[in-house]
Amino acid sequence: MELKVNGTSYTLDAPDDERLLWALRDRLGLTGTKFGCGVGICGACTVHINGAAVRSCLMPLAAVAGSEIGTIEGLAETDGDDVIELHPVQQAFIDYQVPQCGWCMSGQIMQAASFLAQNPQPSVEDTARAMSGNYCRCGCYVRIRQAVQQAAAALAGAEEAAT
Amino acid sequence: MTQELNPSELERSDEAPSAKRRWRLSRRGFLIGLGAAGASLAVGAYFGRPALHLFMAETLAASEHAGSSFMQLPEDPPLWLEVLPDSRVRLSMVKVEMGQGVHTSIAQIAVEELGISWDDLVVVQADTSSELSDGFGTGGSFSVATSYGPLRRAAAGMRSLLQKEAAAALKQPERALRVEGRGFALAEDQEQRVDFHRLAAGITDWELPEEEQLPLKAVDAFTVIGQSVARVDIPDKVTGRAKYGYDMRLPNMLYGAVARPPTLEATLRSASAGEAEGMPGVEQFVIDVEEGFAGVVANSRSAAWAAVQAMQTEWDEGHLWQQEEIEALIEPEGAGGVTIQREGNAAGVLGRGSAISATYQSPFAVQTPLEAPAALADVQEGQVNVWVSTQSQERAKGLIAEALGVEAETVRVVPTYLGGGFGSKLDTGVAIEAALLSKAVGAPVHVGWDRVEALRNGYLRPPTKNILTGALDDAGRMAAIEHRQGSSEVAFSFMPNFLAYVMGADFGATIGSRIEYDVPNRTVTAWRRKLPVWTGWWRGLGLFANTFAVESFVDELAAAAGADPLQFRLDHLPDSSSGRRMGAVLEAVAELSGWGTPAPAGRARGVACFISNTMVAQVAEISVDETSGEITVHDVACAVDCGLVVNPDGAKAQIEGNVMWGVGSTLIEQAFVKDGQLALNNFETYPLLTMREAPNVRSVLVDTGGETPFGMGEPPIGPVGAAVGNAFAAATGRRIRTLPMTPERVLEALAASGS
Repeated sequence: MELKVNGTSYTLDAPDDERLLWALRDRLGLTGTKFGCGVGICGACTVHINGAAVRSCLMPLAAVAGSEIGTIEGLAETDGDDVIELHPVQQAFIDYQVPQCGWCMSGQIMQAASFLAQNPQPSVEDTARAMSGNYCRCGCYVRIRQAVQQAAAALAGAEEAAT
Repeated sequence: MTQELNPSELERSDEAPSAKRRWRLSRRGFLIGLGAAGASLAVGAYFGRPALHLFMAETLAASEHAGSSFMQLPEDPPLWLEVLPDSRVRLSMVKVEMGQGVHTSIAQIAVEELGISWDDLVVVQADTSSELSDGFGTGGSFSVATSYGPLRRAAAGMRSLLQKEAAAALKQPERALRVEGRGFALAEDQEQRVDFHRLAAGITDWELPEEEQLPLKAVDAFTVIGQSVARVDIPDKVTGRAKYGYDMRLPNMLYGAVARPPTLEATLRSASAGEAEGMPGVEQFVIDVEEGFAGVVANSRSAAWAAVQAMQTEWDEGHLWQQEEIEALIEPEGAGGVTIQREGNAAGVLGRGSAISATYQSPFAVQTPLEAPAALADVQEGQVNVWVSTQSQERAKGLIAEALGVEAETVRVVPTYLGGGFGSKLDTGVAIEAALLSKAVGAPVHVGWDRVEALRNGYLRPPTKNILTGALDDAGRMAAIEHRQGSSEVAFSFMPNFLAYVMGADFGATIGSRIEYDVPNRTVTAWRRKLPVWTGWWRGLGLFANTFAVESFVDELAAAAGADPLQFRLDHLPDSSSGRRMGAVLEAVAELSGWGTPAPAGRARGVACFISNTMVAQVAEISVDETSGEITVHDVACAVDCGLVVNPDGAKAQIEGNVMWGVGSTLIEQAFVKDGQLALNNFETYPLLTMREAPNVRSVLVDTGGETPFGMGEPPIGPVGAAVGNAFAAATGRRIRTLPMTPERVLEALAASGS
């Protein structure tokens, strides 16, 4: 089984029906993607498949072989262990001091990054709708909302600067 | 500031322990809790148990921290602080980080008194091999409050000792020196300097100065405490690098799973591999029927979970409890009531005139942090290492040693980051399971519960039934209140029986049930009934449910008096320091919420507050969809006085989180028992609040000159239910007295005649 994660190809000896979440965490050691419910309700396991936000706890390996899989570990621009530049969503989550326990945050950030790529100028209602499939038990919702809106503005600014 | 976590060093620590230095015994504060228990035993012998229980309840209410004796942290500098070879200072954290931000706020205390720069401190989580131990654990909103004094004195002591040594090294008077970077320098000539490490390395026998001579900073000279310092754990939490119990890995690690009882009272009758025999990936079955244990170890988590489902287990089911039977148990009447507050003669006053009475109820609820219980255990001959998401590493250590039948000294428990705790991770069951499986299979074993296991196999917030009866005098003031509170165990689930005997009422269950207003006749009596469901710690303990009852009832009395509910509260505050602090907080929330001005069209406001060491007042602004029955909480304004604030932004984050918890419990969360088992499957049976229902939260921290910090992680949960319910009454003229306020209950309340 061939998996392409964060731009790197891995060959895995794993059952076809194993869920992507456990292959990422337990076989590849990419523990940044979290287990929350296992049934696609809480969003803690959100990753990108060809750019789309997907719940990895439901996704059989056979269905994602050959796809571009992106996890939280690959979201920032890095050089080895050094972070060169955070994704604007990650930066906004720091700026607003969003995480408390942090367990849901990889999923929140991956969800937001994919959402903003598709909808660069969301209203607050758009954001609430797009993020409502991601539980935060600590209750960081006020700050998640603010941070996603700020990240949208930052992305729009970067877009403008580039054109 | 760097964050250094032991859990990421998965190799066993083989660092040679630094040469032991001799230290004078640290001073110990007077042990309030023990003192009270000692005295009360005598009182009990003399006056009998009811008087004893009332005395205990009053003593606990008056003391700063329930049971502060066993929360006392040490003050010896080397237990907390160590000078590293590069002269940075390493601070060991005995409290765990579960999102409450204590690794940052406690670090602020150390940096303040050391006088070093923020970047020259390194934070490391202590494990149980450290002498810095903490019998209580992390919870109860006590972390900053109980660390503040001891760590300030430890850090100031360390600084003073180093300064003395620097004076000798530089042949200068101590007063001519100041901290400069990672050492001391002559104030007038910074070329003359000596690094901390050189100073510390040469010292073998230090004497701590007397407490009076410790150079503690004056509170008004603080430059680090009181600042919104960025949290040390956040960078790793946005990049996926933070390691939690569920993330722990070792080479050659295997995965375990354990069979769960099908009912609340089930006992294991027999177990065998059954259809799991020969399943791919299965390494070993571990069965001990006498201990009720049937588990499996496999080479992947999926394989372990599949195998445990396929194992053959037979259980004796026990009584198949139903929800109605359990609710009947917590009636606050009959034998066993413990009076925890009594002033005047409430029964006499209420018997005379026209009294108002109301009954409030709350259901079972689950903490359900998003990281389910998880632990990695590596059991070897003579040495056991366990990495676990736990709020109480000391308790875990003792219970693991007991389960394995080994000496506690051979067990090292390393707390990881917690993906939420909220009281639930004082349980250590998962660590024991991992240890038993590791011992059986002879390899490191990781056990991570799935969501259904997590929902059904921990302890829950117990249901409550509160009956309040009150009367007004001719001037419209509260003349008498009687409060009868029925619930189950919270703290007592974890305490020895003799303490339950001495204390009578479970302070965890009754917190928030006292009448703190100036009411001449008031009685509070609590009934604690053991339930077939395991109940225990939950964020704020009984605070949420009891404050819902008391503060809804006060609102009902205000309405009967025709008074403005906020003014009514102000008018009944006690003439005391806490009454004045609460008054300032109520006035702050009035201003923040625009109390007294009309609410936006279609919305209504309700106020509620909670009086303790930490004062909280909230105004909720809601609307009600009278067709669907849905309540929308638009905005919660919250004012808090928690004494000295160490990290204002961190405090505000705790307010926001508490409000979300409160709104979730007010509108959504409830668990039931059906046919002998908790009717909890996954989140579809226990949905949580999402961003769509999340209100805006605005908060203000009120400074009334407090010189020590009080708790912040739980108190703001108290008033949420009552503030929403009082807003509902303002919007509709009706009351919902049973939580949660579901659309069905809303429509029922709107259809009922009268209130």
